[in-house]
Amino acid sequence: MIASHERAVAAGELGAELERLGGRLMMLFVAGNSTPGSHDLRAIARSDDGVIVLRARVYGSAYPAVTPRVPAAHWFEREIHDLVAIVPEDHPRLEPLVRHPADQGEVRLPEEQEDMPLEHRGAERLAGPGVFVIPYGPVRSGVLETAQFLVQTGGEDVAYCAQRLFFKRRGAERRICEAPPELAVLVAERVCGTSSVAHALAFSHAVESLGATEVPPRAQAIRRVLAEIERLYNHVEVTVRECEDASLSVAQAQFAVLKERLHRLAGSLVGNRYLRGAVVPGGTRIDLDTSAVDLIGATLVDWEREWRVVLSVLLRTDSFLDRLVSTGPLAQQDARDFACVGPVARGSGIDVDTRRDLPYDGYPPFEVASHSDGDAMARMEVRFQEVDASLELIREAIASLAQGPIRTLPRPFTRDSGLGASESARGETLYWLEAGGERTISFCKLRAASFVNFGVFNRVFDAQVLTDFSFIEHSLGLSPAGCDA
Amino acid sequence: MIRWFLRGLSRSRVTTRYPRGEEPPPAGFRARALLDAEAVGPSDAAALAATCLPGALTVTGTGSLRLDGSRCIGCGLCLDVAEGRAVTLDPGYETATRSRERLLAGDGAREADVEAATLTGPFRRSLHIRHVDTGSDGAVEQEIAALLNPYYDMQRLGLFFTATPRHADVLLVTGPVTRPMEAPLRRTYEAMPEPRVVVAAGTDACSGGIWTGPEVLGGVDRVLAVDVYIPGDPPSPIALLHGLLLAAGRVREASAPIVGDGPMVPGAGIGDAA
Repeated sequence: MIASHERAVAAGELGAELERLGGRLMMLFVAGNSTPGSHDLRAIARSDDGVIVLRARVYGSAYPAVTPRVPAAHWFEREIHDLVAIVPEDHPRLEPLVRHPADQGEVRLPEEQEDMPLEHRGAERLAGPGVFVIPYGPVRSGVLETAQFLVQTGGEDVAYCAQRLFFKRRGAERRICEAPPELAVLVAERVCGTSSVAHALAFSHAVESLGATEVPPRAQAIRRVLAEIERLYNHVEVTVRECEDASLSVAQAQFAVLKERLHRLAGSLVGNRYLRGAVVPGGTRIDLDTSAVDLIGATLVDWEREWRVVLSVLLRTDSFLDRLVSTGPLAQQDARDFACVGPVARGSGIDVDTRRDLPYDGYPPFEVASHSDGDAMARMEVRFQEVDASLELIREAIASLAQGPIRTLPRPFTRDSGLGASESARGETLYWLEAGGERTISFCKLRAASFVNFGVFNRVFDAQVLTDFSFIEHSLGLSPAGCDA
Repeated sequence: MIRWFLRGLSRSRVTTRYPRGEEPPPAGFRARALLDAEAVGPSDAAALAATCLPGALTVTGTGSLRLDGSRCIGCGLCLDVAEGRAVTLDPGYETATRSRERLLAGDGAREADVEAATLTGPFRRSLHIRHVDTGSDGAVEQEIAALLNPYYDMQRLGLFFTATPRHADVLLVTGPVTRPMEAPLRRTYEAMPEPRVVVAAGTDACSGGIWTGPEVLGGVDRVLAVDVYIPGDPPSPIALLHGLLLAAGRVREASAPIVGDGPMVPGAGIGDAA
């Protein structure tokens, strides 16, 4: 359970208070149980004193925006404006974010479209003959998730890149409230289908916090095993994509084989290749018997040997390194200002990892990978180090599998609200739940890692060229499905 | 580069022989649910329906239980109800069918006893495939991309991805079709030359799956006529291969989701599957 303290502030003071705290903004949203005639803002921030929940009541239809003081609030406040129809006044750019305009999917030129915010522009927008916009998406070449990028270029240099998301919004937050918690976890698993375990964990942690449910030690160890297997195949996936971009067919095939083996392991352990249906509030639904433990051990010994060989060849392949080193640099200040998480933040020297910062499910101390270069290579290096850490964490979890139950029934909710967190392969995943009864959820706000990391997408194209686009995109490891929810 | 060359040569072959040979799923793989309607009592039916988030299990007007395989996400929660009678989970990878009726079991299922058919469409051998994501959870895309890995290597079967719909025979759609993606989906379809085939990949593309809100239209067939349904959450690479080969008229569709109906013969090939 996440220890947090809660404090009320005036809506006008929210920005100043967050700035004074100086921490990392985790979430900003309008809570569900607002009193009629007003809206309750909740700002959740991580500071040196731990997690702080700020409550601010907005009367009427406007409040002074937080974004001018805390840039990380920029998408949150646009989302609030879209969904709740209150106006964050003096927000530098209040165009629709999650709501799609009537011209759904239409491509608009920079002169007439709103995705050209002055304050988030990486470089000054170019004008003049020969400057044009490449509309990339929503239907993109290759088998990729839906997103749209408007790349402004004079031919080779990327002058500006605007991202448009939320084509994939499926209404996960409302869907979660429609079902009892033991079914709603299935919705959480499908918010970002490649981070099913991380989302199920964050959701379950929030449910467990609502009723002060203790998770048995055996279930905690199983959860760690599954979460780290999930991290492995996601990190390998990014490697596969980068090899594909670099036209290294053999490397791509070799890493794809490694990824496939992990999915086959997942299918054998859980019955689903993306580890769904395993984590539930109160524990897990599947046990790891001795044959499963043996299977994991045998598979990973072999897997690790193979991984080391292929990785060592990759790290000696100049045509790979040349494309990644100094590509897509994310300044540490940007990563901090926009509250990035996961390998994106850690690649730019921001040392955040939910597994260590907000410990859950009995994670032992481990060294958090971090890199200061901020380029695509740094983000890959972080992932490579995390593969080692994950293998070690799996071994540790298997060794600590205690006898005992794997599930306790979640207790009736005694608290009004609960925050759950986990570290997916993409970074911090958050669920905020409000109880509507002893066993019902009345409000859910979720924030996938990709929601914040997508916010800096237009800031990593400084002095970059078009041909590096896919290297940069894949090095960020973003999930439109998670972002859009 | 020589290192990669030698590395590639030094590995042994891992490619599946599917559809000519069998590719057995691991025991306990949750590919799809099978219904044993006779084992369900009236009280069980209500309990089973209440535990099914996507509404794959429903109680009909006559009080009997009905399974809609196009909605089943294979979560297995129904196995804990009614002492595990009624519903079993089938690990068989091959789930693709030509119609949603074929995925029904219990009351209202009409085609259950009809012999497995194949698509008698325009294609017989090679297919070029254009993928469109209309709101998937992101895992289906990775399973589709896995078809290119050495285990599945779909190009050996004459299946290729194409970047442009103008070169495509098959529109492979994932996701429950969110409102912003309706127009791009239509436009991609309209950009394809005829003849063309639409394949819905994944439970959410087949029916909307767990997504029931106003944000989604609830399945690809709300927008386009779907020729092949590949349920699965996500559908495994073999399930995707099965569906694509079905679209090419090279295999038969899956059996109806009924206990005791017997598994289909793997890759019951029509003509030459190679």
